[in-house]
Amino acid sequence: MRGLAARKTTLALIAFLVLVGGYPLLFRNSYEIGVGITAGALAIGAVGFVLLLGYAHQLAAGQPAFCMIGGYTSGILCVKFGWDPMATLLLGALLSMAIAYPIAAPMLKLRGFVLVMGSLAFQLILVVVAFELPFTGGAMGTYGIPRFAIFGFTLQSDVAFYFVVWAFVLATIAIGLNIDRSRIGRALKAIAISEMTAGSVGMNTVKHKVQMFVVSAGMASVSGSLFVHFLRAVDPTVFGFVFSLNLVIAVIIGGLMSIWGGAVGAAIVTALREGLRGLSLPMWETVIMGALTAVVLIAFQRGFAGWISDRFDRLTGARGGKPPSVTEPQPTALPRLADAPQAGTPLLDVSSAKRSFGSLRAVDDVSFTVEAGSITALIGPNGAGKTTLLHLVGGYQPLDSGTIKFAGKPIELLLPNRIAELGIGRTFQNLQLFDNMTVLENVMCGRYRLQTSGILAISAKLPRVRRDENDVRRVARDCLKFVGLQGAENLMANELSFGHMRLVEIARALALQPTLLLMDEPASGLNDTETERLAELIAQIAALGITVLLVEHDMRVVMGLADKVVVMHHGKKIADGPPDRIRAEPAVVAAYLGTEAYETAA
Amino acid sequence: MDFQTLAQLVLPGLTTGCVYALIALGFVLCFNVSGVVNMAQGEFVMLGGLLGAWLSIKGVPLIAAVVVATMAGAVLGVLQERLTLAPVRRSPPFIQITITLGVAVIVRGIALIQFGKDPLSMPAFSGDDTFELLTAVLPIQTLWVWGATAAMLIGIYYFLRHTDVGRAVRACSINVVAARLMGVNAERLTVMVFAIAGGTGALAGAVITPVVLASWDAGFVYALKGFIGAILGGLRSPVVAVMGGLGVGVAESLAAGYLSSGWKDAIVYGLLLAFLLIRGGVFLHGRAALTAGGGH
Repeated sequence: MRGLAARKTTLALIAFLVLVGGYPLLFRNSYEIGVGITAGALAIGAVGFVLLLGYAHQLAAGQPAFCMIGGYTSGILCVKFGWDPMATLLLGALLSMAIAYPIAAPMLKLRGFVLVMGSLAFQLILVVVAFELPFTGGAMGTYGIPRFAIFGFTLQSDVAFYFVVWAFVLATIAIGLNIDRSRIGRALKAIAISEMTAGSVGMNTVKHKVQMFVVSAGMASVSGSLFVHFLRAVDPTVFGFVFSLNLVIAVIIGGLMSIWGGAVGAAIVTALREGLRGLSLPMWETVIMGALTAVVLIAFQRGFAGWISDRFDRLTGARGGKPPSVTEPQPTALPRLADAPQAGTPLLDVSSAKRSFGSLRAVDDVSFTVEAGSITALIGPNGAGKTTLLHLVGGYQPLDSGTIKFAGKPIELLLPNRIAELGIGRTFQNLQLFDNMTVLENVMCGRYRLQTSGILAISAKLPRVRRDENDVRRVARDCLKFVGLQGAENLMANELSFGHMRLVEIARALALQPTLLLMDEPASGLNDTETERLAELIAQIAALGITVLLVEHDMRVVMGLADKVVVMHHGKKIADGPPDRIRAEPAVVAAYLGTEAYETAA
Repeated sequence: MDFQTLAQLVLPGLTTGCVYALIALGFVLCFNVSGVVNMAQGEFVMLGGLLGAWLSIKGVPLIAAVVVATMAGAVLGVLQERLTLAPVRRSPPFIQITITLGVAVIVRGIALIQFGKDPLSMPAFSGDDTFELLTAVLPIQTLWVWGATAAMLIGIYYFLRHTDVGRAVRACSINVVAARLMGVNAERLTVMVFAIAGGTGALAGAVITPVVLASWDAGFVYALKGFIGAILGGLRSPVVAVMGGLGVGVAESLAAGYLSSGWKDAIVYGLLLAFLLIRGGVFLHGRAALTAGGGH
């Protein structure tokens, strides 16, 4: 059922072409065509804003600053130097992106409201600059901007300009959709749910946000250039408060998480504004816009596009109601790890690891090794420091002192995403799935580190990007077959039962093609049958040549599976060795049952 | 740089700074209890000013106009909280912030419809005389602004330091989860701080109107400048927020006087941006990780 998203896109595209093509047939006078042009120009900015706000979750309210840069670049170069409008539009977009790139990383360090204010301050500074600089025309602005022209070919009619603007909208939407259905789109959605989990599959949380900031700056700039060519003039108030507001509201009404939503919202906002003008109620415009913003955000957070998409699902019965048809696990679905390290050599070497929280020594001078190809279990009573130790290995917490080596290289200073890139996968004690994606997409996320396509290739959807995506989809399906969830691909991750969710998490970690798999209490919350199947699955994973380090409470799992057991108590390692020896170790029995119990038993 | 020019810039700067200080305080109180940065904070000031001016033009006695305007601000604060924020307590912060932006727009729009495009004025509370202080000549209304601000600050200080509810507000600012576990009713406190923020903002708007006029579109700029004051104290410390607000007023007045009034705003916003970027990392870990500012 890969067709569902594709079918929706086709339908949306048909609707788009019919509406855009039909509008100038129904509304012929120059005022009405002008309204169509402004809606289109707003739509371009709005789609860019969806990428920034809906995908990267960054409310940078200063987006119109880049409309200003684009608008003024176009205006000044056309009027004062007689440049070609299309050339100035492209140059403006490049300039905006060049300005956006260096400020993106520091700007996006600001979170939430601080970012709103910071980006707003940036925009307001630009407004003052536009007022005060000698060559912008000050409060009067720059006027006498020519009709839009594409490399010498001037668009003499407004209708022609209308179609050019909407062709730009379509191109913008295409770029947005390409990003949405790529490793970058998945990474952004994953980061929105949990930066920690996104890091566990190697996703770089800063990089893609910066990319969205730059891409949306470019789109805003194009929008600004087209606007000033429509107005034939630009002054500091054109992209002021009202414009910012229209942009935000368009995105909210259209649907924050939908690329199409940006265009839909821009059309709705423009229609509403003109309608209110027609009813001679322009004073009510702001009130109604504000009220719509609040109501949509309180009651329909997915906006108009989300609503349409849900209706479509319900009408066609595309989603929901079907329990996953779970198959038997297919241990042959995945190939044996090709570059598995020599069995028996130390793969992970933890040496004198220490980590304290205040006066509590959670991990106190622990050393052990995990041999390649083995299953090593980390056990100990509650609060022994097992999960903390696993966090240290995964890079989620810094060590106070000590070293951790993976395949001979020190990793104790690396961030989780760098550690994942080296081929260390993990699953979490409290399930960490991306609820906003399907089961298949969740597993595809695991493939992130092995995909190399950059933002440019993805935006253009080059053939190699398409091939790469197909490969990833195939491997992800194989991983699901391996754990036995073949039938659940298209369900949303949160529609599964707890036990099945755990299997998805394991499949996602396997998609990463890990050399070492860290599992934090995989059996917790599972019933007896599920636990048995899990133990089988872990054995099958090890049979692929993947080394496993697991933290576990369930002794049946541990003693049946593990080649080696490391026992912790109060932050210290009290024993390690093969399960048989551990079972007889006095210190271990004492730790679990208390010293007296041991003495009585003895 | 002679002393008289300096005084003539600094003291009026303090007067607008009073408004920023009260807005900054409102930001801090609301943020600490509810976790929301209320972008409509400046609209309270705008509403207080316009409503007060409009009522006095309609012949309502000055004192009654000011009281009604203040009450209206408080009621607006409560309505905003109950109607638009309480239902979305669990939504991500950026959605809540955007909702407060929507509310700000609604209030602006209603003000535009009700009071019109032109700025309104209000007679000074005790005549249009001037007085001299440290060689600067100031309108008498300045004393009302300073006095009202001082009174509100003292009131809020007393409330935070010496009442149980105030202590609960401070507890929330240190650790909202722990405060809840100790039985602090955060819902009730949230309503209360929104009422305080609304009321103090509106009163500030009313007392400053005889000096600067009230206009339907002034709220947003007030909010931004008040926010600068609040952020200086990391949105934690009420005292730093108040000092910050006063400082922003003085800084913009000095920038306008010595540099150029055109670049005034760019300078203030530039300082904000620089400060945010330098301090940016502090806000990285969300509010739980920020150390307590307390009320001292």
